[in-house]
Amino acid sequence: MEVWEAIRGRRSVRSFQDRPVERGLLERLVEAAIWAPSGGNAQTWHFVVVTDPEQLQRVKTVSPGMLGDPPAAIAVCQDMNEARRKGGELGAKFLAPVDAAMATQNILLAAHDLGLGTCVIASFHKGAVARILGLPEGVEPVLLVSVGWPARVPPPPPRKKDVISWERYGNEPST
Amino acid sequence: MSPQLEQKFFELVGYMVTSARNLLDETPLYGPFRLVDAVSRLVGILEEEGISSPRLSSLRERIEAGKYSVADDPEGFRCFLEGLVQAVVEFLVAGRGW
Repeated sequence: MEVWEAIRGRRSVRSFQDRPVERGLLERLVEAAIWAPSGGNAQTWHFVVVTDPEQLQRVKTVSPGMLGDPPAAIAVCQDMNEARRKGGELGAKFLAPVDAAMATQNILLAAHDLGLGTCVIASFHKGAVARILGLPEGVEPVLLVSVGWPARVPPPPPRKKDVISWERYGNEPST
Repeated sequence: MSPQLEQKFFELVGYMVTSARNLLDETPLYGPFRLVDAVSRLVGILEEEGISSPRLSSLRERIEAGKYSVADDPEGFRCFLEGLVQAVVEFLVAGRGW
C-alpha cells in the first residue's frame, strides 16, 4: 500500500469482527511504532499488548473511549522517570506524549496496511489502566489503541481545509 | 443474579463510574454521548438475558445508528438526541410497548 493511500484511507474503526489478531501481526505493529521519531532519540516508550479477553475486558471497563469489542489493544506507555532523566521537564511534559503520539500514528498506518482496523483512545482512567496492566511506578499509559479486523468502516469525516498559511499566518500563497 | 449477569452489570457500572470521572476533563459533548451509550449497553445486557421489548430495542437501534455523529457532526448529534427524545415521547403517548 502506498503511504498516501494509507494516510487517506485510514479510519477510526469502532466495530470489529469476532476474530483474533495473530500475535505476529501485533508484533509488527509494535515494530512500526518503534521506528517513529523520538525527541532526542530518547525512546522512553513501552507497549503493552493485551489480547486475553478477561484482561481486555478489565481495561475496557475503565476505558469509556474503547467502543465496540476489539480482540486486541495496545497500551502506548511512557516511562516518565526516564523521559525526565533524558530530556528534563521538556522531555517529560512534551516530548514523551508527542513521541507516544507519533508511535501511535505508525501503529495506525501499519495496521491499515495489514487490513486491520484501529481506534485511538484517550478517554480512559490512567491510574486504573496502570494498575490493571501492572505498570511500574513512573510508567504511564498515554494512549490506548484498539486493534481488530473491521466489521464496519465509517465513511471519511469532513476535513477542515483552511489550515494553511504561507510565510505569515493568514497569508495566501504569492502567485 | 447469576455471576455472569453480575459481571455484565459490574462492567457497565465501571464504565459509568469511569465516565463520570473522566468527563470532568473531557469535551462537554461526551457527557450526553456516554449517557446514551450507557443506555444502549444496558438495553444490550437485558436483551442478552432475554429481557427485551420492541420499544427498548428500537431506542437501542436508534442510539447505535446515530451516536457516532458526536465525533464529527455536533449539530447532527444534537438532532439525533432530539429525535431520541421524540421517540421516547411517542412511545410514552402510545402506551406500553409490549
